[in-house]
Amino acid sequence: MNRKNLLAAAVAAAMGTAWLPVMALEAASAAGTLGATGIDRARLTSGTQFNPQISVILDGVYYGASREVEGPAGFGDGHDHGHGHGHDHAHGLEEGFNLRETEITMSASIDNYLDGVVTLALEGSSGIEVEEAYLLTRALPAGLQIKAGRFLSDIGYINRQHPHDWLFVDRPLVSELLFGDHGLQDNGLQVSWLAPLPFFTRVGVEVLQGEEGIANYIGEGPLKEKSGPRLVTGFAKVSPNLGFNHAAQFGLSGGYADAFQQQEVHSSGRSENIDGRSWFAGVDAIYKYDAGGTYGHRNWVLQGEYYFREVDADYRNIDQADVLLDQFASRSRQDGLYVQAVYGFAPRWNAGLRAEAVGLTNKSLETNSNRSNFESFDASYRYAAQVSFAPTEFSRLRLQVNLNDYAHDDGDHAHDAWEVMLQYNVSLGSHGAHQF
Amino acid sequence: MLRTLTLLTLLALSPLASALNVVATTTNMAMLSAAVGGDDVSVTVLAPPDRDTHYLELRPNMMVSLRRADLLVSVGAELEVGWLPPAIQGTGNRRLNPGQRGYFEAAAQVELIDQVPDADRSMGDVHPMGNPHVYMDPLRMAQVGHALAARMGQIAPEHADRFSANAQAFAERMDRLVARMTEQLRASTDAPPGVLLYHKDADYLMRLLEVPVLGYLEPVPGVPPTGRHLNALVSELKGREGVMIANPWQSRRGPDFIGRELGFPVHVLPTNVPVDGDVADYEALLMQWVKAAAP
Repeated sequence: MNRKNLLAAAVAAAMGTAWLPVMALEAASAAGTLGATGIDRARLTSGTQFNPQISVILDGVYYGASREVEGPAGFGDGHDHGHGHGHDHAHGLEEGFNLRETEITMSASIDNYLDGVVTLALEGSSGIEVEEAYLLTRALPAGLQIKAGRFLSDIGYINRQHPHDWLFVDRPLVSELLFGDHGLQDNGLQVSWLAPLPFFTRVGVEVLQGEEGIANYIGEGPLKEKSGPRLVTGFAKVSPNLGFNHAAQFGLSGGYADAFQQQEVHSSGRSENIDGRSWFAGVDAIYKYDAGGTYGHRNWVLQGEYYFREVDADYRNIDQADVLLDQFASRSRQDGLYVQAVYGFAPRWNAGLRAEAVGLTNKSLETNSNRSNFESFDASYRYAAQVSFAPTEFSRLRLQVNLNDYAHDDGDHAHDAWEVMLQYNVSLGSHGAHQF
Repeated sequence: MLRTLTLLTLLALSPLASALNVVATTTNMAMLSAAVGGDDVSVTVLAPPDRDTHYLELRPNMMVSLRRADLLVSVGAELEVGWLPPAIQGTGNRRLNPGQRGYFEAAAQVELIDQVPDADRSMGDVHPMGNPHVYMDPLRMAQVGHALAARMGQIAPEHADRFSANAQAFAERMDRLVARMTEQLRASTDAPPGVLLYHKDADYLMRLLEVPVLGYLEPVPGVPPTGRHLNALVSELKGREGVMIANPWQSRRGPDFIGRELGFPVHVLPTNVPVDGDVADYEALLMQWVKAAAP
């Protein structure tokens, strides 16, 4: 074992990875023979060899609204842990200056079998969250890959993107309201397979712990304890081969959560409990046109996703003395979609429009007045327009205007609100790469 | 259904099953791979020749090509950094991981100019390891060809002799090309006035030809020309002779402004051969540059 291998082994051991002897293939390093120039280099990189590549994303938004924005009717908070109704500001932005999450990503090869990626999000100024921390195999045969740890699920299209990859300032409503503030982000395991077909076809399954959003879990008090993993998802993506200038991808995804729980505790001590199971299914489509201009000039990106979620739930209203006041079993069914188009109208500039609807089917998880079933609400709509300017690959300024046409609990639509957002989004550190 | 799937699978696996599957990032790298590999390789290219390789976006079907590749031939030095690493990662093809035999960077085989060890991003999108555009230097390409033959020979030892003979033939052609280019240059002028480039992508060639580079339209690499920078160039070069050379994907406004203000002839020349282009195309491409640089 030469010094290089020893170092690699030490790094692997330090990072707590198990050696995987099953995958022991010939570590065929090209370093054995020197090239024509006698230079022993496989790759030229500006990163230092053994330190992880580090990049930092800074993201700030100036936010203004024509009136206080309440969430769409029937969706609670979207990230409801049972702390009251959704009267939060949209996307957690306050009027005025906001520091959004500062993202720190570190990635490196752990050894010749595994890559490691960690993304920490410093949320405003309030705390650190581990957004992603996963291992990804690089040496499995037959187009197989395993991802393990905490990661953004590969369902749909926008779910696995970090906020700086978005073409708009904010997350689509359907993603936020059905899957959570961070989309479907969970601890677990993913197995995916790139099929040996003449066009891109990738399928995968994920087994996830099931903690928030689509698989919200509480597991205490009147809510049944269920051991994890509680969420299984699957996805398939197909991309026909359209040559150098066009790329399209169509996806199907779905999932089943063994536990979906919500609890709302009132000040009197009375609690409303929802305990059940959920499933979801969705379709996504994306098309990109590369016009061959400079800095994205005349490029198009068209994108849309639709999701449907059903929760099969038992509702129980329990007072402070543990007396069961009301109960029923019913199914909540909700859905949502967005479509958007972005066009590079000048080098380094793009402009886009987005239309969204949530609750086209909207039998919510909120009870009707006599607590005998879940209440149905109207659909809510949101329209957005954005213009963005990227001085370089590493920086971007974006102006976005939203028009919210949200349904309200009282069936009223007369709360239209305008929102305006001015965003900067820059990256420091190693040169980033973008997934499709 | 099963039968269709099997058929499709066979179809996907069938193309020249015995040949070495080479995926090249650019058409120039594909040209070199085909020249060195000859009939023993089949070459697929990921990036079209008529646009900036650095700003390309990942297409899912790149992974289809990479999945069955035995060897990936890239320009390297982070020219393809915006899309190639996720493409390799997304394929899970262990042969192509950096450090493996199947991963080949042209820029890592030769000495690079313009190394900027103390670079930071305020200097633009610089490549601290050096200028990656080695494909504009036929002599460096010849060196890369030898290294590539050695690499192909490691993967397919049964053809190693042929690879190395092909690389030798390519190198000799490049020697003759350089002689021809120099001759052409001397025939038209004793002291070429110099070229103004849009981006630092022809520096290797100009150095080889001993043609001075008068400047670049980009104020710093990766940033399009600004009015202030163009005016500064004009006042600096006023009264001098020179030639403006840009690439097809770049905006014509800057080059045309220079042409108007300084009276430089404006040429728009490709830096990559067409898809499936061969050594003769590469020679013709470089001769075009020589003719433009020596008015």
